[in-house]
Amino acid sequence: MSLARYFNKVRRIGLKEYFRQMMYIGDVKVGRCVGSDQFGNRYFENMNPEEEVPGRHRWVDFAQHDFNATQVPAEWHAWISHIRKDPPPEDRVMQNLSPSWKAPWIENLTGTRGAYRPYNTTLPKYDTWEPKVASREGPSA
Amino acid sequence: MSFVRAYMAAGPSVRAAAMRMATRPNSALLAHRLLSTTAPRSNKADDPFLSEAAKAQGGVIPPMNVRSPAGTALYSAKDEPGKDIDPYKDGPSAIDKAVQIFFLTEILRGMWIVLEQFFRPPYTIMYPFEKGPLSPRFRGEHALRRYPSGEERCIACKLCEAICPAQAITIESEARMDGSRRTTRYDIDMTKCIYCGFCQEACPVDAIVETQNQEYSTETREELLYNKEKLLANGDRAEAEIAANLHADHVYR
Ligand code: SF4
Ligand code: SF4
Repeated sequence: MSLARYFNKVRRIGLKEYFRQMMYIGDVKVGRCVGSDQFGNRYFENMNPEEEVPGRHRWVDFAQHDFNATQVPAEWHAWISHIRKDPPPEDRVMQNLSPSWKAPWIENLTGTRGAYRPYNTTLPKYDTWEPKVASREGPSA
Repeated sequence: MSFVRAYMAAGPSVRAAAMRMATRPNSALLAHRLLSTTAPRSNKADDPFLSEAAKAQGGVIPPMNVRSPAGTALYSAKDEPGKDIDPYKDGPSAIDKAVQIFFLTEILRGMWIVLEQFFRPPYTIMYPFEKGPLSPRFRGEHALRRYPSGEERCIACKLCEAICPAQAITIESEARMDGSRRTTRYDIDMTKCIYCGFCQEACPVDAIVETQNQEYSTETREELLYNKEKLLANGDRAEAEIAANLHADHVYR
């Protein structure tokens, strides 16, 4: 990125956004905001190869300070991983295939109290049988 | 000043060569030579390719002026296509190039890149913000899917368990209250799994799939021993992405 292009980008995004990008992405990036998800993460795209290195042309601006790659929900994950061409708000296929029973997205909670702990799903099957010890009958020795 | 040197060296000699080529024998003479080297035909009387005049003269083809019809001739050097295009028109001029060379602008630009990278962590893409490209066929974390009605797909046929080369899948099944056969235990040991994708290929009802999620690292090993509830939860939250990827891939299957 040339010096002229650098300052041109700073001028285009403004000082406030520039400061935020320096705090998080560490690079000046200008692009079209293609949407945001239910957590407030904003997604950007710049397809101009003169301004962005191809491969760095899609990025997310996390809403949380304690950001984490898994805070991107599945639909946006497909877009930001370059699996889908269109972002979810414009992707008819993705919208039509979203079921009504879709569960809310949860980030990877490992290392917290919400972390997944494996448990036995067949316990009810075994627990329904309660062995009863019949008392011995007959003359005792 | 290499380009000036090249012009001085190549310019006059190229022109001299072109002038020499212009004084070559003309095409009519060439045609005559080609005719004279053709072997005379043997049976002159019934040769269907000889004209009546040629037969009368004893098989000798009279010399003729071989010329292509007007407009179909080969291009001469003068009206060769592309002569009117100047390939250097939109490029930098010689003065521009000389300025670039004398003022070391390439060196300075390279030094700016070095200076810029000096204050940055070394990265190709800034990972959690930008992610590398994945395929719709990418084989990541497993999930169990449901039908659009919400009914779970898996019918406990145990084909995935049978094909799994790492023997990472454990299934126990039982008839449900309504009589349908379902799994009571569907465990995948993600630490044994080699992510070969055989399970999703084997599944007759597209129940077990590998999602494109690769970001499920855990702090303890225990958290990677997935049970049925966890796998169904993975499917429930990512069903839109899974279905869209299967849709993108269905033309190749
Ligand atoms: S991806 Fe391969 S190793 Fe992993 S569970 Fe499926 S069949 Fe087994
Ligand atoms: S996931 Fe598919 S292959 Fe495995 S037991 Fe269920 S229906 Fe059979």
